[in-house]
Amino acid sequence: MKTNDLILQTATKVVVFIIILFSWHLFFSGHYTPGGGFIGGLLTSGAIVLLLLAFDLKTVLAFLPIDYIKMTATGLLIALLTGVGSFFFDAPFLTHTFSYVDLPILGTTSLATAVLFDLGVYLVVIGVTMTIIQTIGETE
Amino acid sequence: MAFQLLLNFFLAYIWMFLSNDYSSLAFFKGYFFGALILFFLRRFFKQRFYLLNVMAVIKLFFLFCSELVKANIGVVKVVLSPKLSMQPAIFALETDLEKDWEITLLSNLITLTPGTLVIEVSEDNKTLYIHAMDIDDVEQAKLDIKNSFEKAIKEVSR
Repeated sequence: MKTNDLILQTATKVVVFIIILFSWHLFFSGHYTPGGGFIGGLLTSGAIVLLLLAFDLKTVLAFLPIDYIKMTATGLLIALLTGVGSFFFDAPFLTHTFSYVDLPILGTTSLATAVLFDLGVYLVVIGVTMTIIQTIGETE
Repeated sequence: MAFQLLLNFFLAYIWMFLSNDYSSLAFFKGYFFGALILFFLRRFFKQRFYLLNVMAVIKLFFLFCSELVKANIGVVKVVLSPKLSMQPAIFALETDLEKDWEITLLSNLITLTPGTLVIEVSEDNKTLYIHAMDIDDVEQAKLDIKNSFEKAIKEVSR
């Protein structure tokens, strides 16, 4: 029997945004407080899974036309390049650095290259989780 | 558009609560991230991503400014020319705009750019009667208004 998922879908439309915002908060707070790329990526894919539960695979793919396999590859590439980048400064592989930069509006911000590595982790985690769930969901 | 704007504000406040920081900077960050999420999930809504409408408003404003300067230069030329060779005319302009505020905005824009003046709007809100100070080609003038102002207003309310 097909039921009307109106309430679930309407609630999802607001809740998904809050979940993704929370996941980004976790992602950015990873340096000093609990959080980081892994948990942030898992929570973002959790939000997409909620979309998959409320809608169906095709609709979600129309909303978010993302190739998750390419996303994984991009994440791995970013992580690798941040490691390779240290070679340009005569430092061993994966050496991280940070500096304080004066940005417009944001003021003095400490920018660490570890965040770029974390971004790679974040993308890989989303890509892998969504690939697993979508491939299982697609098989009849 | 209003719903997306409201949701964006809501997300900005949630960000402030999450990071336990109630400065305007935290609001700005939250607003930015919220706008980013709204952009990624823009197909969710029936209307398009609302910042495009904001961009259209800014574009319309600059279009109005440039048209104002151009039209005023045209009037100065007419006033300073020694011979009175201008050709006044009244013509009807059929508009595709439907909402009341769109028609009001269009007629105000036409009136404020000198050279043209809206005299009356027809009963069914479909036709504007415009007085032009100096006109060579009615069809050309109609096309100009349609292509610049009407298109920009449509872009705002889409």
